[in-house]
This record gives sequence, C-alpha cells and structure tokens, in this order.
Amino acid sequence: MSGRPRPPSPAWEDVREGEELKGFSLELTPTRMVAQVSGTQDFYPVHHDRDFARQAGHKDIFINTAFIRGCLCRVLTDWMGDDGFVKSLSFQMRRPNFVGETISVRGRVRKKGPDGRVDLELWIENAGEVTVPGTAAVILPARS
Amino acid sequence: MAYDVKEVKKQWEGYETPLRWGRYPVEHEPIRRHCQMLDDMNPRFLEEGHCPPVMVDYFASLGPYPPSDYDILPLVRRIPTPGDRLINLNQEFEWFQPVKVGDRLGASHKVVAIHQRGTKLDPLSVWIRTETTIVNQNQDVVARRTNQILVHRTPEEIATGVSRA
Repeated sequence: MSGRPRPPSPAWEDVREGEELKGFSLELTPTRMVAQVSGTQDFYPVHHDRDFARQAGHKDIFINTAFIRGCLCRVLTDWMGDDGFVKSLSFQMRRPNFVGETISVRGRVRKKGPDGRVDLELWIENAGEVTVPGTAAVILPARS
Repeated sequence: MAYDVKEVKKQWEGYETPLRWGRYPVEHEPIRRHCQMLDDMNPRFLEEGHCPPVMVDYFASLGPYPPSDYDILPLVRRIPTPGDRLINLNQEFEWFQPVKVGDRLGASHKVVAIHQRGTKLDPLSVWIRTETTIVNQNQDVVARRTNQILVHRTPEEIATGVSRA
C-alpha cells in the first residue's frame, strides 16, 4: 500500500532525556483551513468565516483545537512508531494561529519514568513565538 | 440585572449529561480526512484502521449534522453567560485503551467549574471547565478529556454594554 516507510519504535532504553523529536511545519493556507473544517467537522464560524471572526474581535480566522491537538499528537505518533501508546496530552492555546501563517510543531524528551513511560514537551511555534505549549506522556516498549 | 456568577455556579457546577453514543462506529473515511488536514501519511491510521488518539471524542459524538447535541458546545451554550462567543483555551487528554475502526464510542460531559474573570477580549469573560468521559462498546473508559472554555462578548456588545445574562 502507499504509506510512508515505517521506522521501528524506539525502545525505552534507547531514548535520551533532552532528545529532540522530528517535527514538521504546516502552512495555514486557505485550502488547509477548508481541510481543517472537513477533518474536524468543527463548523464554528470563527475558524472559517472572516467576517464572523473579525466581528468577534479577532484578526482573522484561526485553526481550531482539534487541528492543534492533531498536530501535537502527530509529532508523538511519527516518533514512537507502531508499538508506542500515547498516554496523555495537555496543551494551552496562548494565541491564535491565523490563516496565512506557518506553524512548526516540535517536541523534546523531558524525562524517562518507570514502566516504559516517557514524558515530553511539545509546542507549536509561529514566527518564532510559542503559541501552543504542551506536555505529553507515552509508553514505549522495552528493548527486549 | 447584574450577572450573578454565584447563582450560575450553584445551578451548573456538577451537572452531567447522560451517556450518548456516537452516531456511527469508528470509520476509515473521517480518519483519512483527519490525516489529510495534517499531511499525516501514517499507514497505521490510513490503512490499518487504528484510530488517532485525538479522534476518540469525534467518534463519540453525534457530529454536527443532523442538528443534535454535538460534543460539549450545546451544554456550554445552555449555561447563562454575558456573551456567546467561545474560545477553547486549554485541553487535557488521558487515554486508557487503543481504539480501532469498528469500535463504538460514547461520551458523557460534566461541568466541573465556572468562574468569571475579565480578559483582554471582555471584562465580563466567563471561564467554564468541562470533563468528558469516553467509553467503548463494552463501556470501558478509553479516554478522559478536560476543556477550559472562555465565553466572551463581541467588541460591539462590550461597547454598548449588552449582556445576555
């Protein structure tokens, strides 16, 4: 089938605290804003109707919560492979990410815990500013 | 009449909706659309039917059409507030089990806390914290989600002193 190559899951023993996760960037084009509504089925107009957004006091339309958490979760699932389990995810939306902007989604291993647990920092950057800081925990397999 | 947040807290904090099942089972096509919006080529999601963890509440809801109680929005809208514009500020998820295509998911929502604290958007902003519990067809809890939602007025409503509650 089509899909990308599948690197093996990192073993818990091989993960280093401070290790950076491979992130990705997305341009928030008008087409992606449409894909956002399609993908999330969130029809609240502040995410697709410029007049509505501006009337509410915002600069423009901006990506919604489900899009943001999807980005953060993708950084985890890209990194941890098939055998990891996403245990938790928490994030704050400090300022909107508007159409026309480009976001970069990043992550870093913060701490290793017992039973395969790995705590991570995640964040979304936009023009050098962290607009969405977050944390997560995943469970990784042991090397054996 | 001035907005009485104490009365609203008394009426709504602790309110919980009954368990409602998602309209459809976990399906491939919504997962594909989720992946499309994120440029996510992960074959576990696109080809093998694993549900992206963050989609569990999507499949536990009735969706936006036909009109229904869609996720927490109708619940939040029933809570009296000066404004009716919503922003989701924080979200937390915890997962307990994986979910795959064919599973049935349902959810119940609880109003955990209501506060009034002014923001740059509106001096009468109201903060509503909710908790959603998502279960599968065996009624095993697969995930819990909390949301912090800000409800505010439009600049025009603020300028004219309008309050809906």
